[in-house]
Amino acid sequence: MTFSESKEFKVHSSSLKEIRTFAREVLAKDEILKSTSDDVVLAIAEAAQNIVKHAYNGKETSDNLKVEISYDNNQLKIDLYDKGEPAIPTNIKPRDVDDIKPGGLGTFFIGQIMDEVMFKTAATDWVNHLILIKNY
Amino acid sequence: MSYKITEEGNIATVHLDGEIDMDVTEKAKELIMPLIESGKEVHLNLKEVQYMDSSGISVLIESHQKAAELGNRVVLKEISKSVLKVIMMAKLEQILIIE
Repeated sequence: MTFSESKEFKVHSSSLKEIRTFAREVLAKDEILKSTSDDVVLAIAEAAQNIVKHAYNGKETSDNLKVEISYDNNQLKIDLYDKGEPAIPTNIKPRDVDDIKPGGLGTFFIGQIMDEVMFKTAATDWVNHLILIKNY
Repeated sequence: MSYKITEEGNIATVHLDGEIDMDVTEKAKELIMPLIESGKEVHLNLKEVQYMDSSGISVLIESHQKAAELGNRVVLKEISKSVLKVIMMAKLEQILIIE
């Protein structure tokens, strides 16, 4: 099966539930994707949460973010686009999981779930473009 | 997220229901922290929590640490399969009190 679906959401914490619903519905299209849906939905939601928290520092905005989910040749690709503050990829590191403290686990979860995580210089109207890949 | 609180002796049990993400963590903290600060042992029943992200895990860590600081404890009860998976991914199953 091959597909690609995208949807835009308001940059706000209240959008996270809608993003999860969208991701669950798209991943349910394929049995293999469905089997890892809970994990992938978490990774997508954590990435979206990072946009709200860090790209916009939790500030109110009328901007949207875009989530695109594509599956082709046994590879799942998630593209997240936003127009927040430009991310500095070298500054985005998961915290040491043995350092027990609240916060900073989202990036760690994304790294645990996905096979590849990369930022691409957006050649579009968007500022940040995060790509998450999982191979099946 | 919805909730129900029951109290018996020095134990306050918070039954949480729904999905716990960044959008509801402040509300969760507002529920749990005063109970901890009042000196109660807090039990968090997570049987009906279908989803928890890193923000929810942060609430669990913060609650655990606050209770420990006050010489008390927060006990996680009847954790749903999906929440337990996230707790284990964060390698917290040996840190948090799970019964």
